[in-house]
Formats: sequence, C-alpha cells, structure tokens
Amino acid sequence: MIEYVDTLLPYITTILLISSIYAIFSLGLNLEWGFTGIINFGHVAFLAIGAYTTVMFNMSGFPLFLSVIAGIVLSGFFGLLLGIPTLRLREDYLAIVTIGFSEVLRFILLNEQWLTRGPFGIHGFERPLQDVIPYQHYNTFLLILYLVILAIIYLSLERLVRSPWGRVLKSIREDEAVPSALGKNVFWYRLQSLMIGSAIAGLAGAMLAFYISYIDPNTFKPIETFHAWIIIILGGTASNKGTIVGALVFCTFLSVTQFTNRFLPFTAHQMGAFRMIVIGLLLMLLMMYKPEGIFGKKEELALSD
Amino acid sequence: MQLVINGLVIGSIIAITAIGLSMIYKTLNFVNFAHGDFVAFAAYIALFANTSGMHLASAFLVAIIATIALGIFIEKVVWLPMRRKNASRTTLIIISIGFALVLRNILIFIWGGSTRNYDIPVRRGFEFFGATITSNQVLVIFAAFILVFALHYLLSRTKIGKSMRALSDNVDLARISGIDVDRVILWTWVIGLGLAAAGGVLYGLVTAIRPDMGWYLLLPMFAAVILGGIGNPYGTIAGGIVIGLSQELSTAILPTEYKFAVSFVVMALVLLLKPEGIFGGAK
Repeated sequence: MIEYVDTLLPYITTILLISSIYAIFSLGLNLEWGFTGIINFGHVAFLAIGAYTTVMFNMSGFPLFLSVIAGIVLSGFFGLLLGIPTLRLREDYLAIVTIGFSEVLRFILLNEQWLTRGPFGIHGFERPLQDVIPYQHYNTFLLILYLVILAIIYLSLERLVRSPWGRVLKSIREDEAVPSALGKNVFWYRLQSLMIGSAIAGLAGAMLAFYISYIDPNTFKPIETFHAWIIIILGGTASNKGTIVGALVFCTFLSVTQFTNRFLPFTAHQMGAFRMIVIGLLLMLLMMYKPEGIFGKKEELALSD
Repeated sequence: MQLVINGLVIGSIIAITAIGLSMIYKTLNFVNFAHGDFVAFAAYIALFANTSGMHLASAFLVAIIATIALGIFIEKVVWLPMRRKNASRTTLIIISIGFALVLRNILIFIWGGSTRNYDIPVRRGFEFFGATITSNQVLVIFAAFILVFALHYLLSRTKIGKSMRALSDNVDLARISGIDVDRVILWTWVIGLGLAAAGGVLYGLVTAIRPDMGWYLLLPMFAAVILGGIGNPYGTIAGGIVIGLSQELSTAILPTEYKFAVSFVVMALVLLLKPEGIFGGAK
C-alpha cells in the first residue's frame, strides 16, 4: 500500500502541475476568444516569448522575479505589436496571420543560435527557490506555488470579466456595431484583451520553463495552441471554471494514454499518433455536436456570423 | 538561374495545389486548414502504390482517385451536414483543424514520421544555362502546364466549370439562376482535391515525402490564394509562381530556413495593404 502511494503521488503531482500550466495558458486564450471573440491561432508564440524572456533575462544576471515580470511584460508587448496591424482583419485572415506569426517566431528561435542556442535548447537555468527546497520535495513546492498562481489568475479574470470592462468585451463578441455605436473604441478593447491574454500566456511560459527546466523551440509548435483551443471548447467557451476543468481532463487524458500502449499493440510513436487522432476527432465532434462544451452556455458562443 | 528554376518548380506545385484551397475558400466561405494534409495524403498513397510495385504513373492516378474519394466522404459526413446547420466560418475552420490533425496522424501512424522517397531510379540532371535541371523537375513543370490547361478548358468551356466559376463568384446569384449548388460544390471538391493530389505526388518527386509536408505547404498556399484573390483560380496560379520564386530567391540573401517566413511576410503585406489580392481578385 505504501509503495503504491509512493509511485502514485508523484504521478498525480505531475498531472496537476501540467494541468495548472495548461489551465493558465488556456485562460489567456479564453479571454481573447471566449470573451472577446478574437481568433488567435498563434497563442503558443506568447508561451515561447514568456519562457525565453524569463530564462534569458535571468541568465544575463537579472533576479528571477524580475525576469518573470519581464517575460510577462514582453509577451503583452508582442501581443500589442501583433494586434495593431491585424485586429482589424476578418476572422479567417486573423487565424492565418496569427498561426503564421507563431511559426515564424519558432523559426527565428531555431535559427538565431547566437541568441537562443537554436535547436539545442537552454537548460541548467535557475528555478525559483531551488537552493532552499530539498530536491525530492521540489515538485510538491512547485505545485503549491502554481495552484496559488492559478487561483490568483482565475479570481482576477472572474472580477475582470464581470466588470464594466468585461461587459464591453462580451458586447464586442456579440456584435461590434453596438458598443461602437455607444462610443466605445472597439479596436482598443480588442487590443487590450489580446495584450492581457498574451501576458497571461507569457506567465504560463515562465512556469513551463521552471517545471521542465529545459526549453527548446520545438516545445512551442502550433499544436500547443490547439491544445488550448480543445481545453477551452471542452470546458465551455467563455467559462473560466470550464477552462480549468478542461485543462485537468485534457492533461489527465494525455498522461494516462502514455501507458495504454501496454494494452494496445502499438509502438511508442504509433501511440503518440493515435493520441493525436483521438484529439483531432474530439475537436471535430465537439464542434459538430456540442460546441458549448461542458460548462459553457450556448448563448455565449462567439460563433454566429 | 538555379534558384529561378527551383522557384518555378516549387511555384507550379504551390499553384496547382492552391487552386482547390482558393475555390473551396470562396465557394464554401471557409479556410480549409486540412488542405495541406490532403496533399500529403496523396503523396503517401502514391508512395504506397509505388513501393508495392506499381509504376509511378499509375500510382499517380491511384493517389488522385483516393484523395478525391476521401474528400467526397468528408464532404458528405462533415461539410454538408454543417452547411445544413448554417455553421459559422469559425466553426468550420476549427473542424478543419481537427480533421487536419486526424489525417496527418493517420499518416504518421501507418508510415511513421521519417522521410521517404519513391522507388524510382535516380537520374542525373542536365545543364541548362549554367543550372542543373533534373528530369523530375522538367516533368513537374510539364505536368503542371497540362493540368492548368485542362483546368482552363474545364472552367471556360464546360457547363460544370462555368457553374463552378459562377458559384465561386456569388453563391446566392448562382442558386437563384438554377444551379444545383450541392452538386457543383461536390465537383469543386473533386477538381480542387484532384489538383491538390496531383501537386502532392509531384512534390514528392522533387523533394521527399514527410507527414508534415502538407503543413509546410499550407502557408505558401494561403499566401498564393490571398495574393491571387480568393476564388480566382488564375490569380492563384500566378500567386503560386510568385510565392515559389520569392521563396527560392530569398535563399540568396537569407538562410534557407527562412523560406517559410518569406511567404508569410508576402502574405501579411498583401492582407494589410490590399486584401482583395494583387491579380484582380474578387471583392
């Protein structure tokens, strides 16, 4: 029994850690897509910017806390840079441009080796309180820290979307003409939503870097963006609670299916592909038959033209 | 000169694969993110037929038929029901991404993630104004020409082709003038995916076959579509050639890894400055 607990507990800790990172990453996208109706297919770019900025600032001598802040600020700033020229575009153009942005960023990270060490990645960087916390308890510490961060982000987002500001966002999602007729600067609100969402993704990037203690450009492939989309759609678009539950369900699925090849006659890479087939089918079926997800409300879907 | 030839070869492949993307985009009013994976699917079917002993020419036909069959199947079980439900553009885009994941990973599941090649003899290239051209490259350009002329004949001379153009010009107008919209949409898939499949097999001839080849073709194809004006097949062809050339010529001054970024920058500029396309596209 004791042995069982000894192996199970670290495993659960791992799932919860990954879930909390994905939850925060997806909450950022949920603000953009769920509450404002912005199609961002390049969300992973801000995860990358947050992770790389934090690690590189810290390695060039900045204290860890300031480096994380730098990562968050810079992600938000890039959100602004991306948003200014593109947020006036039609939704399908925006989808193409944002996904292209994230891929171009990944190519830059891969090729500008003087800056990022390219495909070799960066490891051996400082993690929060790594000298104070004993190694065997480090993940437990990280989990507590991440759950606190998740709670803070969740509560602030809930306050934000219930505020007058959040109501303007929702009205933009429903029909842009109405808030602009009331004198609201729709473009500026959309820009703010993209900046905040990107900054949150930047924070998730720093958290991801600390957890896996290694980053390389191929950690940030477009599939990560779509993982966040699936999490949001699964949990329920425009529901922050749903996004957190979606992250937990999704990460548990990812993790548990790593062991199912004991029961299925697949090789490791076939299992990986099989998992992605299931994820793709899930995305299709959800969009076809239950686009409002588990906790979402049908009337809050930003899908009507 | 070498870069120009490489650019023309890649450009003609982008052109013929992107025509389907463009026509579907306009007719069904959504971006099919799975289009590139149809291209890859065709290359793998040709690879499978070829390595199990079939001549590449017949493998080519098998691949086209299989890809069209898959496309019709998806039209019947996914796109047609979704159109009946009046699904929004965003819904369709997300579904197409889901399908792209499914299709790409089926390829990885069956054939693995590594690079593959057709079972054909490797021939030496010949010299042409100081550049080397392989016979496969000549074949690609030649085949692309034939396909483009066939398409032109179809669109300008046959009833179905004219209906397709009418539909991609204005769906409502086409409907009230008595065109059977669902049937023409089916034909648009057949022609578009047939061309995409042909492009996929040809692409496998000049480069290698990889499960993510469709993904890396997708952004250049989008660029060609937007450059040429959505729904305009002739504009798309011109756009494809321009993108192919600019990708290859960029390698003279930039690292080759940035080829992909070049098409993105060209596309972003067109979207921001002249979203209706350069080549007299539709509004």
